[in-house]
Amino acid sequence: MSCFLRKSLRLKGFSLFHHILASSTWFSCRHFSHSHSLPYNNTSPRFLVPSGSYSNGYWSQHNRFWTSETAATEPSTSDGLTLQGILSYNWAVLDENDSDWKSHASAIAQSIHLIKRRLQWRKLKVRLDMLSVQLNKADLWDDPVHAGKISREHGSLLGKMKEVNALEQELLEHIDMIKLARQENDQDLESESLKALLNMRREAKEKELEALLSGEQDSCSCYIEVQAGAGGTESMDWAAMVMQMYKSWAQQRGYKVTVMDEMPGEIAGIKRATIKVDGEFAFGYAKAEVGVHRLVRISPFDSNKRRHTSFAAVAVIPILGDGSTHVQINESDLRIERFRAGGAGGQHVNTTESAVRIVHIPTGVTATCQNERSQHQNKASAMAVLQSRLDQLEMARQAQLNAHHTQSLTDITWGSQIRSYVLHPYRMVKDLRTNYEVSDPDSVLEGDLDGFILSYLSASLDEDEDEA
Amino acid sequence: MKLSLSSVYRPYRFPTLINSSALGRPFCSPALSSPSTILKPQVPLFLRPPINSTKLCDLKKWHDWAKGVATSIGSAFVHSDNGPDSSLLCREIKWLMEDAVEDHSVFSHVGLEGDECVKMRVDIEELYCLWKQRVQERRPFQYIVGCEHWRDLVLSVQEGVLIPRPETELIVDFVCDVVSKNEDLKRGVWADLGTGSGALAIGIGRVLESEGRVIATDLSHVAVSVAAYNVKRYCLQDKIELREGSWFEPLRDMEGKLAGLVSNPPYIPSKDISGLQAEVGRHEPRVALDGGIDGMDALLHLCDGAALMLKPGGFFAFETNGEQQCRALVDYMENNRSGSFCNFEILADFAGIQRFVIGFHQ
Ligand SMILES: C[S@@+](CC[C@H](N)C(=O)[O-])C[C@H]1O[C@@H](n2cnc3c(N)ncnc32)[C@H](O)[C@@H]1O
Repeated sequence: MSCFLRKSLRLKGFSLFHHILASSTWFSCRHFSHSHSLPYNNTSPRFLVPSGSYSNGYWSQHNRFWTSETAATEPSTSDGLTLQGILSYNWAVLDENDSDWKSHASAIAQSIHLIKRRLQWRKLKVRLDMLSVQLNKADLWDDPVHAGKISREHGSLLGKMKEVNALEQELLEHIDMIKLARQENDQDLESESLKALLNMRREAKEKELEALLSGEQDSCSCYIEVQAGAGGTESMDWAAMVMQMYKSWAQQRGYKVTVMDEMPGEIAGIKRATIKVDGEFAFGYAKAEVGVHRLVRISPFDSNKRRHTSFAAVAVIPILGDGSTHVQINESDLRIERFRAGGAGGQHVNTTESAVRIVHIPTGVTATCQNERSQHQNKASAMAVLQSRLDQLEMARQAQLNAHHTQSLTDITWGSQIRSYVLHPYRMVKDLRTNYEVSDPDSVLEGDLDGFILSYLSASLDEDEDEA
Repeated sequence: MKLSLSSVYRPYRFPTLINSSALGRPFCSPALSSPSTILKPQVPLFLRPPINSTKLCDLKKWHDWAKGVATSIGSAFVHSDNGPDSSLLCREIKWLMEDAVEDHSVFSHVGLEGDECVKMRVDIEELYCLWKQRVQERRPFQYIVGCEHWRDLVLSVQEGVLIPRPETELIVDFVCDVVSKNEDLKRGVWADLGTGSGALAIGIGRVLESEGRVIATDLSHVAVSVAAYNVKRYCLQDKIELREGSWFEPLRDMEGKLAGLVSNPPYIPSKDISGLQAEVGRHEPRVALDGGIDGMDALLHLCDGAALMLKPGGFFAFETNGEQQCRALVDYMENNRSGSFCNFEILADFAGIQRFVIGFHQ
């Protein structure tokens, strides 16, 4: 019963404490007495106060607070523990299966912290206050369009803020519960609260990931392209290894992988290749891989067994959904060519090669597809690639116009060197942007990339924050 | 428009249609060993029931063997007659496996190792046989798997029927363009002469309005049977009618009524037949390829017929051997059929070869 209640209360977004007061008749006596032994939490912004029923200092203070809507004091547990406090204790985050409340609490606090950073918390509060001021102006609705805009933004920001505040509140309440259970030696309550904390930990982790991937195109599917750097066979072999790494990574993540285009090297490897990665957030993750990847190893192609350095460049292109605006392509701006054409064609020739290349003449952007079994389908797929490339180019152009973004076009398409893979004389993969490193290159080349990706994504949050 | 009916309907003179085995080579397919019997078209490999079972490791053995064979070819075929190189052959191996194995997604998560079994639409011995035919006899890949992917269709093909070419796909685009601008043509009756596998007829049938119909003709009994099979597979029996016979012979009732007429008739000059790529020359039906001395026999005949069969404003599109034939055809229309046609255009395929003549009836 109580477990169910707590869950349903949380769903409604109400403070547990409020419910202990307001719906005490639902509670078993035991739980009721627990609630009584707790000092009142004095910070919940969700406290719904029955007007006039209390007149002590606490309530009036709370009422004042309620009107300003944004939190003024930091929420804490009964013994004064705050989110910042939890973070500063730096309690070790253990495996989920270790039922240690501090570990859970620490993990949840970190997630909340990250979500706040992603939302640019301080800026968000300032903006919200500003909007509140505007909303309170008497003449606001003289300009209904403007007023509508303001109140929509206010509503949406407030919603985000409340959601995070609720998480924080819930965490502190669970901690209170656990401490209380220990005091009272109530093992049922303790294990129940621990379970709730664990659930919350998972939930917060999911929210954290969502927050990391909240960019406009992050949820899109994408194309990943790998191109061999200078250096002939050596680099083409490396490009093929990199492509294989992404195929495995994508498959392990449950994405659907389709090879769109592959230009094999003369002796080994690939000159370039494009794969389509289908699934939620494919772009959000894969965009962390844009840039040049460097390999150091003893070359398998060098009979003198010398050490070689090779490069492969990776580009990632989001596939915008139907809802977004696409660049309009004029049929007359396209030149469509048969790939590897030659000879008389038509009835003279039997071939299973039906690849086409589409050139967008004004921009020089091209797309080739050869994985399909008919020319028509190859053309359709190549058109889709071309559309995404032109969309990306347009977004990059827009971003450049927008003063906030200083990224150059080349940064967006191919980027600079981001990661080193060393197989000799020592073994290590190191990300040059985050310094994240792993001493087992094989696992990375087999697609174990999430560590690199997530550390990069959170590091770019820091950058955003610095910018802010 | 002085046109003698008798010349259009006269039994067409077949330049070299003595026998399909004029090249002195027996066909592999039983279908052609007795071409006159009522033909039951072959079911493409990918549609056959997966009643065979093979261990993944045995499949891998086959795969490695097939790949070895393909690799050993190098560019030998390219040099001898512009045939496939080993990278193309390797891709065909992949596609052959896709068609032969019931659930080919097993490869991505299991790989090709182990004792696990996969369900197959053909047994492994036959798979060896098929690949040998592909490389040793140069039997076209499309006859091996019994289908060709053409536009967004998968068409059944077999010995005796021309494998539709990618170039020809464009004719459907032309028709799309024309009918999107003209509701009347969209609802009319179209003809595809020399339909082969039914490719053009089916492609066009799918872009016409519900009242629109297509009559598809072919002289070859095998072609008509296979086309009928394909029409049925796309549930277009109500829309596409097949008629067996030479060019306009089966269309006497349609004089002056056709909204559109398309054809990819045989257009290769007879002298070039012997030098064709092995897959084509040794395996595809000569009646589908040989266009007479200059390759224009059928095209000129079709031109004459189009003038008679199309209604005013009706559209035509012909595929040709290239620039020379396109020019000759346009000359012929201007000089011999002047006043019958208008708005001619010569259009190129994606390889940049001037391939098509399109236009309208006055
Ligand atoms: C080049 S194939 C084209 C087949 C099909 N339309 C395509 O594009 O794939 C030419 C077709 O014309 C047919 N044909 C040859 N002579 C014919 C004739 N006298 N009357 C009708 N069809 C004929 C052949 O049987 C063959 O199917």
